[in-house]
Amino acid sequence: MVSDNGDRVKLNVGGEIFETNASTIQSTCPDSLLAALSNPTSHGSIPVFIDRDPEIFSVILNLLRTRTLPATSSGVFSKQELLDEALYYGVESLLRSAMLPPPLLGFDASLVSTITPAADGIPSAFTATAGDSSLWIAHGGQISVYDWSLSHSGTVRTHLNDITSICRVWDEAAAIGSGSASGLHFYDLSGGRYVGSTHWTDPEDPRIHKARVAAVADSTSGVFASFECLHRENSVLQIDKSTLQVAAVIGQQPGSSAKTTVPEKLRFVPTNGLLIGSAVQRGVFGCSGYIRIWDPRSSNIVWETNEPGSGRSSRFGDSLADMDVDVEDSILFKVCSKSGDLGMADLRKLGEDPWVYMSDENPGAWKSGDDGGYSVVHCYRKQVLAARGGALEVWSSVKEKTIGDQIRSESLYRRNFVDKEEDSERGMISKIEAGGDRLFVSREFMEGVEVWESSNFSGIISVE
Amino acid sequence: MSFPIIPHETNLVSINVGGRIFQTTKQTLTLAGTDSLFSRLATDSTSTRFLDRDPDLFSVLLYILRTGNLPARSSSFHVRDLIEESRYYGIESFLIDSLSNSSQFEAFDLRKSRILTLNGRDSPSTISPTVNGGGGLHVAHGSKITSFDWSLRRKSTVLTNFSAVDSLLEISPGVLAAGATDFPGLQIIDLENGGFVRTTLNWENPTRSSSTVQAIGSSSHFLFTSFESSRRNSNSIMVYDLSSLMPVSEIDHCGIYGSDIDSAIPSTKLRWIQSCNLLMVSGSHSSPSGVNGHIRFWDVRSRTMVWEIKETQDCFSDVTVSDNLSAVFKVGVTSGEVFYTDLRRLGSEDPWICLGEEKKRSLKDRREGVGCKIESYGNHVFCSKGNGIELWSEVITGLIGNASRDVSEERVFRKNSFGKSADSGEIKITGLAFGGNRMFVTRKDQQSIEVWQSPSRGVSI
Repeated sequence: MVSDNGDRVKLNVGGEIFETNASTIQSTCPDSLLAALSNPTSHGSIPVFIDRDPEIFSVILNLLRTRTLPATSSGVFSKQELLDEALYYGVESLLRSAMLPPPLLGFDASLVSTITPAADGIPSAFTATAGDSSLWIAHGGQISVYDWSLSHSGTVRTHLNDITSICRVWDEAAAIGSGSASGLHFYDLSGGRYVGSTHWTDPEDPRIHKARVAAVADSTSGVFASFECLHRENSVLQIDKSTLQVAAVIGQQPGSSAKTTVPEKLRFVPTNGLLIGSAVQRGVFGCSGYIRIWDPRSSNIVWETNEPGSGRSSRFGDSLADMDVDVEDSILFKVCSKSGDLGMADLRKLGEDPWVYMSDENPGAWKSGDDGGYSVVHCYRKQVLAARGGALEVWSSVKEKTIGDQIRSESLYRRNFVDKEEDSERGMISKIEAGGDRLFVSREFMEGVEVWESSNFSGIISVE
Repeated sequence: MSFPIIPHETNLVSINVGGRIFQTTKQTLTLAGTDSLFSRLATDSTSTRFLDRDPDLFSVLLYILRTGNLPARSSSFHVRDLIEESRYYGIESFLIDSLSNSSQFEAFDLRKSRILTLNGRDSPSTISPTVNGGGGLHVAHGSKITSFDWSLRRKSTVLTNFSAVDSLLEISPGVLAAGATDFPGLQIIDLENGGFVRTTLNWENPTRSSSTVQAIGSSSHFLFTSFESSRRNSNSIMVYDLSSLMPVSEIDHCGIYGSDIDSAIPSTKLRWIQSCNLLMVSGSHSSPSGVNGHIRFWDVRSRTMVWEIKETQDCFSDVTVSDNLSAVFKVGVTSGEVFYTDLRRLGSEDPWICLGEEKKRSLKDRREGVGCKIESYGNHVFCSKGNGIELWSEVITGLIGNASRDVSEERVFRKNSFGKSADSGEIKITGLAFGGNRMFVTRKDQQSIEVWQSPSRGVSI
């Protein structure tokens, strides 16, 4: 860091002189306004004058030097001030990486905030899995968009009165479905513009009409949506993204029994191009449901399991409560409704009984009271998050273990609570989704979406 | 901006930090130690020294180098920024010394000042202070270990194989030894590597069953681990080399032969006594006829037991040893009173001297001391009873004996009421630990750790 004169740059920001190395600026954000102004050859020895606030600039300069945001700044400047200033100097990407949370560890996360839309605050659906750390909340007939810093960047009113499923299909476009109106609808959220709709109709079968959307999944080849008619006939449709026309009808079924109800969860696995759907009905005698895998190219069922019923795997009275897919590792997870055990199945080696069960070695710590059973499961980066009633749990894999020179892969999963007891009393968890190292949780009849993050900083409370 | 010219003063150093000029002497800069950036500035011969860093933070760090104390203006900074900056310059130890030094521990002036909260629903099972003495802490809660750095501002959490960690000890910076009474093996966990298990140590017991860890202790050279076979019929203390983790020897091996159950009580506390080069091991067993236990003193190198106290009447509930006070302290399980025995006078028939009410010893069927913890730190002994803490301190009253040769102080121990009564809380204390200028307290079913320290003098950040 001790350098000669040639590399040095002086900047006069609002009357205060700052001195830095040109390489500090050039290496971190070469295309920014700051880089252009700080070119040492272009201005001679007179410092370039920038008519901005010098105190906030010192924070920006420290961000360039250390690539972290000084902790002192958080009490002095608001998030919006810093964002505006970073945008002005063109160093927004640096600020973004400094402000995003560290990798999410489910066993060490805490509630950092609750995002509540201004009107109709009870979220009916939300999505956060697009990978750019943003969050889209559907509430009432509106969709509110929150950017990577979770600041509100806009709300779009749709023609629907309630939105029960939302899926991001392009950077700025959402596919939405409603439980009270038919069809899948596409909205461009950046312009607040209606794009189009797709309905499930069959000219040869007049009974197929007014079908409502139960679940949506996105893929590069098209949008998959499960539709259900009023008389429970249902099917998954593959919808072409450019024409918004139905490209294929997959797995049409009558919906007359638990084995043929509409899939309420759809997952697309890009590595092998398979579509996975599941449905679970909760009754007085426990859960019953199915997991089914289709190959959308042939519309054939590749594999399926019905619980209770099919296969040797079904554990008596302990059928699946929900499933999710770890897309990166091609692992199918299910959570058993009664015991809370975690079932894993390798998507590449599915057979008659592919399930490997993980149970907690310390079952005494887990009350098996009648609190509604497990309802929601979500996978995120080798972690399986499960909600049981209002409580939030996580299964995390323990690090691999070395024995001699060999590395033995120990697929040992441990169950921990994410939340505290008082958190679970806020209400039944209706949806969990993780994205951008944040965990989002919504609860039934509760306003807002909870944001959980891991942190490198301790929760320290001063009591003096 | 030009450097002021001072003739004949080669000792002076001018440094341009982010556009501001600082002047100091080479002596001040070299105080920072050879590894730090400051001493490189002192030896650097180029005339213009420029650092592309924040000048305000630099001025605070230079102040610390000059005076050893924090300036009052540092309270306008977040301590995290100061730590990050001091790490960059390589002088974090100065910051630790000025903020959290064990010499600043004032037993008579401890207040509950902070609460560290833990995520999840598991309450701490065991806590272990960091080895560098800066006042950091490792907390085992459920299957997780959360580590707080010396400033208690930064934390990291790792997941272990254990369903609950019962014994925890940091053996070198960032390396933990962890064991459980329901899971075989002592695991050496690398915190830097996200909780990677470096190795698992096991005791090859005669019954060829797996063995669980009952206690961990360490000296400057050795790591001691008390193992019990999972059949619970034999136990032993393994001695490992602290750096290589290779087994060195095995001491205090016991096994049950016949019906004598007392012969195989595993040791649940291991304490190294530096001044005597002895290892104190203790264990107790509760049965319908009462509580029995042992306190043994082992010479590790010769593998001989130097002395043993057999505890039958008013057995210890917890026991500790203080090098500074040359004494072993226990809290009796029946009486709930604190006792001590002088390390320099080992070997007497009834070694214990009661510090509280002697008459309580003979009370039968009382269990006043159950769950009490006793620990020593500095020149003080801390004993938790229920939800409160007693502080015992030594008072030298005079000299007895032949003044020319065997001079020994006549000393008494006095109890002090501890903290403000409002601080003591209502919940039973489950653990005590000490590090830097802090005392850490855990309470039953609380997912948090209390930090007790004296109000920082002058500067608080």
